[in-house]
Amino acid sequence: MVAVSPRSPSAKPMPIHAQDLRKLFVQYKILALLLALAAIWGFFHVATDGAFITSRNVSNLLRQTSITGMLACGMVFVIIAGEIDLSVGSLLGLLGGVAAVLTVNLAWSSWAAVAAVLLLGLAAGGLNGFVVTQLRVPSFIVGLGGMLLYRGILQGITRGATIAPVPADLVYLAQGYLPPVPSSVLAAAVFATMVLSTLLRRRRRAGMAITQAPLWSDALKLGAIGIVLAVFVSMLNRYSGVPLPVLLLLVLLAVFTYVGTQTVLGRHIYAVGGNVEASRLSGINVSGVKMLVFALMGLMCAFAGIINTARLAAGSPSAGTNGELDAIAACFIGGTSMRGGAGTVHGALIGALVMTSLDNGMSMMDVDNYWQLIVKGSILVIAVWIDVLSGAKRD
Amino acid sequence: MSDYLFEMLGIGKSFAGVRALDGIDLRVRPGECLGLCGENGAGKSTLMKVLSGVYPHGSWEGEILWQGQALQARSVRDSERAGIVIIHQELMLVPGLSVVENLFLGSEPTRPGGRMDYEAMHARARALLQELQLDDVDLSLPVMHYGGGHQQLFEIAKALAKDARLLIFDEPTSSLTMKETEVLLGIIERLKQRGIACIYISHKLDEVARVCDTVSVIRDGRHVATQPMRELDEQRIIALMVGRQLETLYPRVEREIGGVVLRVQHMNCQDALNPARQRVKDVSFALRRGEILGLAGLVGAGRTELVSAIFGAYAGRSAGEVWMDGRPLRIRSPRDAIQAGMAMVPEDRKRHGIVPLLGVDKNITLATLRHYTRAGKVQHEQECRVAEDQIARMRVKTAHAFQPIVHLSGGNQQKALFARMLLTRPKVLILDEPTRGVDVGAKADIYRLIFELAAEGVSIIMVSSELPEILGVSDRVLVMSEGRLCGDFINAGLTQEQIMTAAIDGGGRAVA
Repeated sequence: MVAVSPRSPSAKPMPIHAQDLRKLFVQYKILALLLALAAIWGFFHVATDGAFITSRNVSNLLRQTSITGMLACGMVFVIIAGEIDLSVGSLLGLLGGVAAVLTVNLAWSSWAAVAAVLLLGLAAGGLNGFVVTQLRVPSFIVGLGGMLLYRGILQGITRGATIAPVPADLVYLAQGYLPPVPSSVLAAAVFATMVLSTLLRRRRRAGMAITQAPLWSDALKLGAIGIVLAVFVSMLNRYSGVPLPVLLLLVLLAVFTYVGTQTVLGRHIYAVGGNVEASRLSGINVSGVKMLVFALMGLMCAFAGIINTARLAAGSPSAGTNGELDAIAACFIGGTSMRGGAGTVHGALIGALVMTSLDNGMSMMDVDNYWQLIVKGSILVIAVWIDVLSGAKRD
Repeated sequence: MSDYLFEMLGIGKSFAGVRALDGIDLRVRPGECLGLCGENGAGKSTLMKVLSGVYPHGSWEGEILWQGQALQARSVRDSERAGIVIIHQELMLVPGLSVVENLFLGSEPTRPGGRMDYEAMHARARALLQELQLDDVDLSLPVMHYGGGHQQLFEIAKALAKDARLLIFDEPTSSLTMKETEVLLGIIERLKQRGIACIYISHKLDEVARVCDTVSVIRDGRHVATQPMRELDEQRIIALMVGRQLETLYPRVEREIGGVVLRVQHMNCQDALNPARQRVKDVSFALRRGEILGLAGLVGAGRTELVSAIFGAYAGRSAGEVWMDGRPLRIRSPRDAIQAGMAMVPEDRKRHGIVPLLGVDKNITLATLRHYTRAGKVQHEQECRVAEDQIARMRVKTAHAFQPIVHLSGGNQQKALFARMLLTRPKVLILDEPTRGVDVGAKADIYRLIFELAAEGVSIIMVSSELPEILGVSDRVLVMSEGRLCGDFINAGLTQEQIMTAAIDGGGRAVA
């Protein structure tokens, strides 16, 4: 409540102190999520007599995560912008089905089919956005309608039957690997880039006398990322290397994080979700921002749909059922605000990993399907409750 | 000793190590009205939250004596049961429920089986409203049918229905018209005679001077002075609040006024919900370079509608011509207006101004983010430096640049919003109630800024309901009444009475 004067030199140590606390708290949230994930993994590891954390299963788990993760990447922006999209599960199914129909029934080449499906995804997402922003139908309703509509079209074009077999080069997209040596090289390159960019940023900021996080905290962060990267790549390498869909997901993580934190579009997404009227009066093209967010969501459905079809080597009329719920749950577990205006891409992906770990672990334990639903539902509510608790303290 | 209704002794409260209140004493006698003054962020609201039980007993230091007995309220309910009721700045009524249902919300008289006892409620409500001289109110109508003034009075009736002995008013008149304010102050006088004590928190010192018997001033969480009102005057209170003698509140700068920059012709606005109703009727005016144009009128006269229509932000249908520098403009959105060289600081900070969760820096750069980018990438260092410059220039008090703006006081939020719009380098700046809910210190800063901008050649339209502000700042004053322009005065020897006369019965004589 008491305003602290930031200008006088004597008050200078004070703001840095407050800033440290705040940063620690924000990081603590993600830390808590990681701890929860570790607990879940530990539990399954014990319960499955050591079968959970093995190269083979981790490889499998990450591959499963990639589909929910791609949807979560798009969904996190939609929710930050203050909207919701319930149609993504059906749209994923439809786009995956189209990929199968194009390659199997119409004998298109895989690359042409992939390109067509990506464009179609962009268009379908854009259509959702158009109805929301221009016709001003609430996004909840548009999503609900789209959920039925896209599922109906899918069942129509597949005539209710599974379409198989899709060509081998399409299957490779989901089942292939980046071999161990290139994987290691890539991981090393990524790490080196992160270290370099952090150093460059610190030097730029020091030159302009902008307050920044203390050196140890940046070092700690980079160290942790390095260790996680090394452990995972070595683990995946012991199996067959990095699965291609996981690689794709990591690329998407990088792109979406960049868009969210470094670009004008990203800032506008947060602003529109935080206060739509203030954004409009500041000259932001609110409809345009929302249209783009929905179009990106459609594009992510296309990626996920293609990977899903490739993974099953077939197009199925029930593909992607409940996919929207997993994606939305992943965002909320990952700390995205229900009211819009706040959230992170990496949080949503960790949320997706939590959801998939539960699926994977319980399947390995031969837990009945009904128990899986009960556990997943409870975890979602508990996770958001903890988030609410930690948020209330800020007041 | 306990001829006091209540005493607060040595109240202290800290937030995460920051001392918000430090040993504050307050005392109020039955039937006394205590004015509580202090700048935004001085600790008034925190103190009132301690008193009204929002912060439970034990979370703060010190002691509250209620009629000589220690009061240990653990919740708002506890303190209301004792007879302490706070009337918030933002009204806490449910718009869709009827007047009578609102009056007893949370303490409904019931019959066996949990049914509401409507007869008892109506009878009691009738008596309460009679006491407040509101005989013409239809108790069964939803509250939203009544204006802000009536709603404020309903809040008081609601407090009286709870047998309140101490009423706390937090900026009660910030959205009331002059007439409604008169009624409210009259009612407080009568409550005092009935032995009900009041604490009156307001930035409007003329009201404090009229209604309060004693004034306590706090600054930076500390008690500065408590004196009988008759030993004080407004200047003296301001000096106590700010801790220094303010130079003149309106530091007028002599400057040259240039040629016409903006010309608005035949502007008409229809109500967004009810298109048959005209909110603005055929308004035309011109604005010159470096001129400060005050736009006065009663609440609901159509001033906000007029300026939002010019800025492309009006919700309903509007028609009219806007010319800038002799060229016609096509403005369909605020985006167009900003590109044409206009900027607007809106009336409702919370709804139309701040993006609460974003930092002060990001709020400041919101309208001009594209200027600090290379290939679509935000240059964070450059952005940060621009924001820091603005924070320094505007004297925004914030712990650090990336603190979420919602944590700032109203005046500091307002300064940040000024910075946001000024970064667009506007030729025409529209200010809608620029000092509403802003403390005296920040007010002086804002006026200084307005004059500086005008001296740099920016033309300013200022909508304001505070006549001293209109007279202190404007070069020329337009008065609106019921959607029409009904007065155009050069501000030389102009009086509040002249403006009010035009605003109230201006209807017939439209001025071009």
